[in-house]
Amino acid sequence: MENERIYRRGRKYTNGEITVFWKPDSCIHASHCYRELIDVFDPGKRPWVDMSGAGTDEIISTVNMCPTDALTWKWNDDEKNREVDPGQTNHVNFRRPELLLPGSETQVEPVSVKVMSDGPLVINGTFTVHYGNVKKNVSESILSLCRCGSSNHMPFCDGAHRKVGFDDN
Amino acid sequence: MEENKEFKPQAVIEVIDNGPIKITGNFLLSDYKRDIMESPQEILLCRCGKSGNKPYCDDAHKK
Repeated sequence: MENERIYRRGRKYTNGEITVFWKPDSCIHASHCYRELIDVFDPGKRPWVDMSGAGTDEIISTVNMCPTDALTWKWNDDEKNREVDPGQTNHVNFRRPELLLPGSETQVEPVSVKVMSDGPLVINGTFTVHYGNVKKNVSESILSLCRCGSSNHMPFCDGAHRKVGFDDN
Repeated sequence: MEENKEFKPQAVIEVIDNGPIKITGNFLLSDYKRDIMESPQEILLCRCGKSGNKPYCDDAHKK
């Protein structure tokens, strides 16, 4: 989805005018974002950021409330990023200046590791997988690994989780 | 498998014999059921189905 591209160890979202960057590692769950603007920042939804939920000014002022660099923002028009009022606390100039460096947009995407509910582990990207005496290079592809312990094709998923009624709670 | 010079893995997935899945490198772990979205340096994930702390390994496979 164009609106929710994986960005390094995080994601970015845009409404055409500004881009909001999310860095999950930095979140301390202060909760300002969704208390202030649930129409944009809704942890119960996927993607959890909906840039169409409010106007640019409202989004900026809410992102500025984030006490860490978990949420930051920049203008899409780079000219406007040159001089930014320090009151815009979470503009990337002040929190994550590395995001404005040339070439930062072309950084490689992290490997996606998804835990499927009552199902396998789905790994997507470019990575190396080792099992037994095998070492396999996987390039921009998907692999599904067993998480229920019942596959007959270990370490891969063979759908056995359904037969055995795997409940991962 | 032949080594490809252009191949630049972002992460290493190690399936440990009779043990968990170890992942290191540049990766993003997501578990919608538990609202987990994180990118640690290293992680051990359960693959025996018995962990009391899923999706993570808690050494339950040894019991």
